[in-house]
Amino acid sequence: MAALGAAEFAALQSLLKAPSKDAVRQLCQECFSSPPAALGPLAQRAGPGLAAGLEEAEQLVSALHNLTRHVVYRGLTGAEDILSLFPENFHQNLKNLLTKIILENISAWRNEAQASQISLPRLVDMDWRVDIKTSSDSIMRMAVPTCLLQLKIQEDAALCGNNPVVSALTMELSKETLDTMLEGLGRIRDQLSAVANK
Amino acid sequence: MGLLNFTRDPVPEAVSGDMHNLNQLSAQQFSALTEVLFRFLTEPKEVERFLTQLSDFATMNKISLGPLKNIVKSILLVPNGALKRNLSSEQVRADFIALGLSDEKASYFAEQWKVNSPTLTRLAVGQTLMINQLIDMEWKFGVTAGSSELEKVGSIFLQLKLVIKKGSQLENVYVELTLPQFYSFLHEMERVKTSLESFS
Repeated sequence: MAALGAAEFAALQSLLKAPSKDAVRQLCQECFSSPPAALGPLAQRAGPGLAAGLEEAEQLVSALHNLTRHVVYRGLTGAEDILSLFPENFHQNLKNLLTKIILENISAWRNEAQASQISLPRLVDMDWRVDIKTSSDSIMRMAVPTCLLQLKIQEDAALCGNNPVVSALTMELSKETLDTMLEGLGRIRDQLSAVANK
Repeated sequence: MGLLNFTRDPVPEAVSGDMHNLNQLSAQQFSALTEVLFRFLTEPKEVERFLTQLSDFATMNKISLGPLKNIVKSILLVPNGALKRNLSSEQVRADFIALGLSDEKASYFAEQWKVNSPTLTRLAVGQTLMINQLIDMEWKFGVTAGSSELEKVGSIFLQLKLVIKKGSQLENVYVELTLPQFYSFLHEMERVKTSLESFS
């Protein structure tokens, strides 16, 4: 993700027309969170508040989106790093305000980016129950404990947009299966500690 | 015939005739036949092998295969019922005697029953209905180095592939867990193990 060009910084100056610092703050947050496809509608909503025509609003929204995403992408955390992104002749107060807003939001934004990363379906919840089987068509009397495990799995957030699909999968484990599974999980834990201790 | 242990239903007419025929076998022949039967009971999938062994037995002992199969069908009624009802070897012996088998042969069969019943019980339990049985679990974990949104990430992910038996088909389920979720999952599974063990 490249840094912003001169035209984009120019577009940012439209923020000088914003009614308040909070309005700027709000717009920064919306521009970061919005996916590229939703920037158009966002520009339409934001334009009137900034006394800006549609084209100007679109350029502003796009520039702000790129700026915030760039900072998050590069993992910039210091005020100096962010200030140095701006060109020499950029409006001082606006530059300071934007830097301040970005610093306030950077870790929340980073978490947001990580949460919406592509991944396999994610585990969101897990429940279990132990039953005792007392009878069946093959044996009339028995006392066999068995485990029922329910996993709630959420499909890739990026594919589902605002309506994540969560499916519940219930499965049965015999004691032997559980022992084998725990063996596997134990091996994972050991490897994780080995990696952590390197 | 008094009340039988292995079944509450009336026994087919042919059974007493079959028991009478069994009594005609020598002890050695009966022991060989019993061995074939128990081998089949402990490995019920080996039907071909069972039929071959029966056929060999028939040839070696100059018995016709047809009648032999009927005899075997009658004999098998008892162990199948005994398994369902967790009968002791005493009860099995008593049932065979009630059906007309000689004391000696009934005792022999009951003895073999005692020896084989742990295996047979385990098999029967294994055949009990399971819902979406977990068959296998594969895993991998790694580090996310970067993404289109974050140049440097360095977070650990864990991916599990669970193989579930749904009816007669196998289904693969892929799940990703974060590290805290993994530890929580491990902790819960250990609690399940403790619970299962306290009921065993």
